[in-house]
Amino acid sequence: MSDPVLAVAGVGKTFPGVRALADVSLEVAAGEVVALVGENGAGKSTLLKILCGDYDLDEGRVRLAGREVSHASPFEARQAGFRLVRQEPEIVPDISAAENVFVGEYPRRRLGRVDHRAMRALMLGQLERYGFAGMVDPDALGRTLSPAQMHLVEIVRALKPGMKVVAFDEPTSSLTSDEVARLFALIRQLRAEGLGIIYVSHRLKEVLAISDRVVVLKDGRVTGSLRTRETDEDEIVRLMVGRELVHDFRRDETTRPEVVLEVEGLWSRWHRDVSFRIRAGEILGFGGLVGAGRTELAKVIFGEFPHSRGTIRILGRERTIRSPADAIASDIGFAPENRKAEGLILVRSVIENASMAVYRRLSRWGLLRDRMMLERVGPVIRALDVKTPSLAQEVSKLSGGNQQKVVLSRWLAAGPRLLILDEPTRAVDVGAKAEIYRLIDRLARDGMAIMLISSEMPELLALSDRIVVMANGRLSPVIEKKDATEEMIVSHALGKGLAA
Amino acid sequence: MSIARDHAPRARKRSLGRVFDAIGAENLSLIIALVILVALIASQSPAFFTSRNLFNIAQNMAVVGLVAVGMTMVIVSAGLDISAGSIAACAGVVCALIVTGSGTVLGGVAGGVATGAALGLVNAGIINYLKVNPVVATLATMSAFRGVAFLIAPEGKPVGVLDPTFALLGSGRLFQTEGFPGIPIAFAIMLAAVIVGHVVMSSTVFGRQIYSMGGNPAAARLAGIDLNRMRLAIYTLAGALSGLAGIIIAARTSSGQPLAGQDLALESITAVFLGGALLAGGKGTIAGTMLAVLLLAVLSNGMNLLGIPTFYQLVAKGLLLVVAVAIGQWRMTLAERRQSRLTAASS
Repeated sequence: MSDPVLAVAGVGKTFPGVRALADVSLEVAAGEVVALVGENGAGKSTLLKILCGDYDLDEGRVRLAGREVSHASPFEARQAGFRLVRQEPEIVPDISAAENVFVGEYPRRRLGRVDHRAMRALMLGQLERYGFAGMVDPDALGRTLSPAQMHLVEIVRALKPGMKVVAFDEPTSSLTSDEVARLFALIRQLRAEGLGIIYVSHRLKEVLAISDRVVVLKDGRVTGSLRTRETDEDEIVRLMVGRELVHDFRRDETTRPEVVLEVEGLWSRWHRDVSFRIRAGEILGFGGLVGAGRTELAKVIFGEFPHSRGTIRILGRERTIRSPADAIASDIGFAPENRKAEGLILVRSVIENASMAVYRRLSRWGLLRDRMMLERVGPVIRALDVKTPSLAQEVSKLSGGNQQKVVLSRWLAAGPRLLILDEPTRAVDVGAKAEIYRLIDRLARDGMAIMLISSEMPELLALSDRIVVMANGRLSPVIEKKDATEEMIVSHALGKGLAA
Repeated sequence: MSIARDHAPRARKRSLGRVFDAIGAENLSLIIALVILVALIASQSPAFFTSRNLFNIAQNMAVVGLVAVGMTMVIVSAGLDISAGSIAACAGVVCALIVTGSGTVLGGVAGGVATGAALGLVNAGIINYLKVNPVVATLATMSAFRGVAFLIAPEGKPVGVLDPTFALLGSGRLFQTEGFPGIPIAFAIMLAAVIVGHVVMSSTVFGRQIYSMGGNPAAARLAGIDLNRMRLAIYTLAGALSGLAGIIIAARTSSGQPLAGQDLALESITAVFLGGALLAGGKGTIAGTMLAVLLLAVLSNGMNLLGIPTFYQLVAKGLLLVVAVAIGQWRMTLAERRQSRLTAASS
């Protein structure tokens, strides 16, 4: 190996409440594919964002092809040759695919006019060169592109003269196996052209297939740097997870006969004839691909999104739910997937966030009774072991896991019969994850019906009593816990209808 | 804030620390600024600490103070009401018309407040149902309501009121004795509104929900808060308070003037931000706002005493709004950095 084209040395980055990266060092040589793996929240995205200039690092240095780029702006990082293929590409809807490829770096003619002809030609040339000829029309508007085409636009965006290191962030999450094969061919070609490649993925099989080296991150630190040829999945998982083997979580079935939620023939913009029921003490897991309509289903049941047909019964009584307020009145709770955007009032205190769904119950004549609030909600927060210096602490200053516990404490304070959990452990560290699993288990044992949406397969399999899989707005038949396997869920998720 | 403050320290702190906690860091800096300002002005002008001048300050801050109470609710809910001055003008004209037409002061006041409430409701309706951003919506109604004020005043001229009882609202005084000029009635009305406003914001369900919706509307909705209904109530209340302010202006000038209250929105918005509210919503207190109103009243009084020309005062008022918002942004950045450092140190 020659001199590394990218050298990251001792990089650290801290956000309020989270030490995202600590003393991270790694090198990428020209003509090398380095895979970056780690659990959610391990720091992979933070590192990529530092490299492409979105974030500024707090400590350490980054050198790219001999140039110091530690504090580069996004523009400077790009000029230096770092290119990132994002997991969720930003596509401008009302300009063409070709313009999308060249946003911010349009080829110019005299007097600064944009050269549309050169743009099309360059884009077609790159598509041809890397084996994607004919897969996307340069003149198509951004809004008309399919998810796979958007991803392709994002890839071609990265492939520009002067690139030295290309990073792929979860590039296969929206691709079919055929498209994955093409992507791998592209990566091998780029490697042959002498570029440095960073490949970030959860999918260890792909990582082992494409990379030369694997760098493992855990809780913001590098826990291993291995030659791909000399390692295997088990070793990588061990380095990723460390001692805490959360995925070994087991629970006993606690389902009771009483049906809490019964959804029958539900149709909406996203759903076609969805029916299912959840009993008291049951955890019904919802599997499926991102975008299959699971979050939307949760929001339809919770009254945030409308449905056109179908009935929702709670404890046998039909309910008309037109708003979240109606849902709460019907004893439903909902912890959304994106807790910062939809779950928490970040600038307010822990106790306020935990109490806000039950303010009415804590008041008389519209006046809040502070003591009652502390007596009723305080114990819930303590029972969840939320780590906070005081109940008056602003929620923005807590770590991800503790923030999630605050959201959960809100619903525990409300005491619903049905609790909808959408990706309850997203961006939560491993320790807090185990605690949240135990909590969900305890709620079910106490008789709460739980609708669990999770894209983490081991989580879904460990927690659920039964699993249904959503694909294209339809629900698969119920899969019993003892029959459920990852392969079966995946095949349902891809809509292949492997009837159980 | 009452929750945040009252229950903040579980461990007993020293009494001085507890006093600081009760006041809050933002308010403390306002108090310090106020003390410095007062010292500065008093050292330059012996007229400052006369009872006559203090009476004037109280008199002058009443109008802005009333509007600022409503404005605090609006801004904490992540909204804005630029039309406050135009609402005040409409209410003043309506009130003057009723008082001169029917001779009942009470009827006039009720009519003026109702006008303010109705116009506030219009603002909320535009924001809720036409989905217009609050800044744009109230910028539009600022112009429209001003026009309405001219339309309802006969021939667009000020409506004179000769009723002496009505004039008391503007210049009457309570507890007047020989050596004491008394308390302006207008100031007492404002004080009542401030106290009620403070209780509403700090310890009612409605008030706490204003903080929630301002901090994160999406999360507030998913916690069962009806944002549209909240906005209807908030802007209506703010409109009613602007209306009341307009009535006091009319009483003081003995006329309902279509051009009244042109600086009201600017001054009250400045006070709310200076008082610690965030542009993004979710933060701000009535106490902070009132300290800022007092600060602004003292500043404006001081500039007059020192003979600073009006044109400079206008420039200063504009600058102050920018400074107020900038301080808020700067404070947030600082807090974030401090938090990052703490996290880095503890791990």
